[in-house]
Amino acid sequence: MNSSLSARPRMTRTSLIALVATLWLVGCASPASREAMVPTDVNSARPHPHSVSVLASGGADTGALDSSNIADEDLKAAIEEAVTRNKVFTSVVQGKNGDYELSVRVTRLTKPLFGMTFTVEMEAAWSLTRVADRSVVLRKSINASGSAGAGDSLVGVKRLRLAVEAAARANIAEGLKAISALTL
Amino acid sequence: MKKALLLLLQLGVVASITTGCAVNRATAHVEPGTRLSEIKTVHVKKFASDNADTDRLIADKLRSKGVNATTGADTPANKVDAVVTYVEKWMWDITMYMLELTVVIRDPKDDYPLATGNSYHTSLTRKSPKEMVDEVIDNIYKEQGQ
Repeated sequence: MNSSLSARPRMTRTSLIALVATLWLVGCASPASREAMVPTDVNSARPHPHSVSVLASGGADTGALDSSNIADEDLKAAIEEAVTRNKVFTSVVQGKNGDYELSVRVTRLTKPLFGMTFTVEMEAAWSLTRVADRSVVLRKSINASGSAGAGDSLVGVKRLRLAVEAAARANIAEGLKAISALTL
Repeated sequence: MKKALLLLLQLGVVASITTGCAVNRATAHVEPGTRLSEIKTVHVKKFASDNADTDRLIADKLRSKGVNATTGADTPANKVDAVVTYVEKWMWDITMYMLELTVVIRDPKDDYPLATGNSYHTSLTRKSPKEMVDEVIDNIYKEQGQ
């Protein structure tokens, strides 16, 4: 009797420690990292001899209780870095001083709620406009997906972030490949 | 101690297979240059995993806005001004409810998204499929001030 009474508080304390440890292990969801969204396999034949400015929209911030999202500024930075790294244009400029204006809008980011392997699908509307005469030289809806399995991370929220980043990376790669194929 | 380990194991499994909690949000966007008032005929393409005849709800809602809407799994038989696609996500909490609905109004020529609306409501503020459709479509039209 006495031993069971004395054991109860210890059990509660242990359970509490287990709960805190688990929550610490899981942590909060974090947004997709801009570095992780940069593709390196675009294989641009030669850079377009023009400058480009980038606009990104349709993303969302990641709230404390939310699942991983893509923030507009991170998507913009990832696309700019991808354009530079893959030599799609000769330069990336800020504001409206570029020869071309690239607009990428996330229209759909489909994320799973449960599972071991998470597959995220991302659709984005890509449009490239020549600034001089406002003519649209590319207008394309691009669908891409990315996956992350238990081998990538055992923690669900991190695995989802990795899948979101993979989907964004694939989408950016497809978009830049389409632009590289243009004659500007 | 065994109970604590069991609890830790259960929490670990939950942490491993879930993706986090969620918040409520409702967003809409209309592509610059798109005039929704000029879209008079649409075809609502039925989502493969539709659980609530959402295509009919969307078509009904669009008809209330003066748009002539058809539905079906295939491409439209006649020429239309826009094709509407949607993705719905369902969740269980005592009963099933629609967690998220994304509606995209597309150019039929190249599938380019002309307007997009999304609503996401978790269990405590859950809405019926009809209410979700109303919210998404109304937000799209509000975005253009119609």
